[in-house]
Amino acid sequence: MKSRLKLISPAAAAAPRQRILSIRGLCKTFPGTGSFQKVLEGIDVDVKRGEMICILGRSGCGKTTLLNILAGFIPPTSGSLLLDGRPVARPGPDRCVVFQEDALFPWLTVEENIAFGLRAPQRTVRQEVERFLALVGLTEFRSYLPREISGGMKQRVALARVLILKPAVLLMDEPFAGLDAQTREEMQNLLLDLWARLNHTILFVTHDVAEAVKMADRILLMDTNPGRIREEIRIGLPRPRENEAGHFLEICRGLLAKLRG
Amino acid sequence: MSDDTPRRGSLHAVQPWLIPAALLTLWFAASESGAVPAYLLPHPVQIGGAAYSYLFGGPGAMPYAGRFWEDFTSSIVRVAFGFGLAVAVGIPTGFFSGRRALVNRLISNTLNALRAVPGISWLPLAMVWFGIGIQTTVFLVALAAFFPIYLNTASGVRQVNPILFQAGAMLGTTPMRRVFAILLPAAMPQIIAGLRLGLGIAWAYLVLGELTGVPNGLGAVIMDARMLGRIDMIVVGIILIAVLGRASDLLLHQLMRLCFKSARRLS
Repeated sequence: MKSRLKLISPAAAAAPRQRILSIRGLCKTFPGTGSFQKVLEGIDVDVKRGEMICILGRSGCGKTTLLNILAGFIPPTSGSLLLDGRPVARPGPDRCVVFQEDALFPWLTVEENIAFGLRAPQRTVRQEVERFLALVGLTEFRSYLPREISGGMKQRVALARVLILKPAVLLMDEPFAGLDAQTREEMQNLLLDLWARLNHTILFVTHDVAEAVKMADRILLMDTNPGRIREEIRIGLPRPRENEAGHFLEICRGLLAKLRG
Repeated sequence: MSDDTPRRGSLHAVQPWLIPAALLTLWFAASESGAVPAYLLPHPVQIGGAAYSYLFGGPGAMPYAGRFWEDFTSSIVRVAFGFGLAVAVGIPTGFFSGRRALVNRLISNTLNALRAVPGISWLPLAMVWFGIGIQTTVFLVALAAFFPIYLNTASGVRQVNPILFQAGAMLGTTPMRRVFAILLPAAMPQIIAGLRLGLGIAWAYLVLGELTGVPNGLGAVIMDARMLGRIDMIVVGIILIAVLGRASDLLLHQLMRLCFKSARRLS
C-alpha cells in the first residue's frame, strides 16, 4: 500500500526495465448456445515497467475480455497471470482501469470522484487531488458533477482518479473511442504527457490503428475467433510522433492491411 | 432538478398554487350560485369557520371545537410508527431481494401475492389480532406502506449500473464501502420514490385504520362526522389530511436531500 504512493524514482526508471506483468498461456472460453466459445487462446505477453503497450484488434477479438481478466473482473479459463511475481485474482488498485463508457460516480463532484479511491490522511488527499486536478487540467471544474461536463472531461476525471492511486499497471479499454476526433487527439497527447511525467506502465486497448501507432512502444496485433496474438510490432518512431509524417502513415497502412487480411 | 438550478422568479413560486386557487374559486362560485346545495358540499366560508373552530376552539363547532391537536397527535404518531416500521422492514428486504437472486426467488412470489390483497381485507383480521386501538392502525399503515418501499428499493438496487461496482472494485473499496458509498447512493432516487409513495399510502391507510371505533385521530373525525351528518367536518378532515400529507411529503423529501448527497445531486 505504502509503496504505491511513491513515485518511481528516477534511478529505478533509468535502470534496465524489469518485467512487471507476465501472462502465460492465457485462455478464456465462454459457454455459448450448446457449445463453448473460445474467446482467447494461448496469450503470452511480457510487459516491462514503464512500457506503453497497445492491444490492437477488430471488434470481437477478445481484447476487452483480455483487459477484464487482467483487471481481475473475470477469471481466465486457464493460464497464469503474474503481476510483480504475484498471481492476479481480484480487482484491485494496483491494476486500474479507464473504461470506454462513463464509469464515474454521478453523485460525486469531479474532485470527489478523483479522491474516491485514495485512502490517506485528509491533508494528503487534498494535496494529491489538487495535484491531479491540475495534471488533467480540471482545477476550475472541481465542483462540477459528471453530468455537467463533456465526454472528454469525464475521461480526464476517469484518468485522474486512477493515476492518483499510482497503479502498477494502467489498463485502458478504448478510453477515447467515444470522443470526437479533436478531443481524442487532445486526450492522447495528455496521456502521453502524463506517461512521460509519471512513468506508468500502460496497456491500451484500441481498434484505431493510428491511435496505436501514435501511442505504443509495442503493438500486439490480435486475431479474431479465437483471439490470439498474431504479431508483435515494435514502434521505434521518435516521440512526439506526427500523424502526418510519411513513416507514420506507412506503418499505419501496413497494420491496416494486416488487420484486413 | 439539481441543487444549483437558478431561481426563476416569482412565476415559478406561484404556479403550484394556480390549481388549488382555481378549485377554490370554482367551489365558491358553485356554492354562491346555488348550483351545488349545501347538504352535498357546504359553502367554503362555512368550511373555513368549521376548520377554524376545530383547530383553535370556539363556539358552534361542538363536539369538535379545539380537538384538532389531540387528533393530529394521535394520527401523526400512528403514521410515524407505521411508516417507520415499513421503512425498517421494507428497505432491508428490498435491498437483499434486489442484490441476491436467491432471496428474490424465495420471497417475491409470496410478497407479490400479499400485495394484491386490498388493505381493507386485513382490517377485520387486524381487529381480531390487535383489538381496537393504535396497534391495528399501525399494522395497517405499515403493511400498506411496506410494498412500495420494498419494490422500489429492490428495483433501484437491482438497476445500479454494474460498471460502478467494477470501478469501485478496482479503486479498492471494501464490501462495507461498496454498500454505503456506491450501492445506496446509486439507488437513492428510487429509494426516495418508494419512501414518498409509501408515506402517501400511509396517510390513506391511516383513515382506514381509524375507521374502527378509535376515539381520536383525523380518520376518526371523518367517520364520526359522517355518523352525525356533519358534512362540513368531513370536508375539513379531507382538506387537513391533504395538507398534512403534502407537508409530510415535502418534509421527507427535504430531509433526504439534507442527509444524502446523492439525494441532492441525482434526480
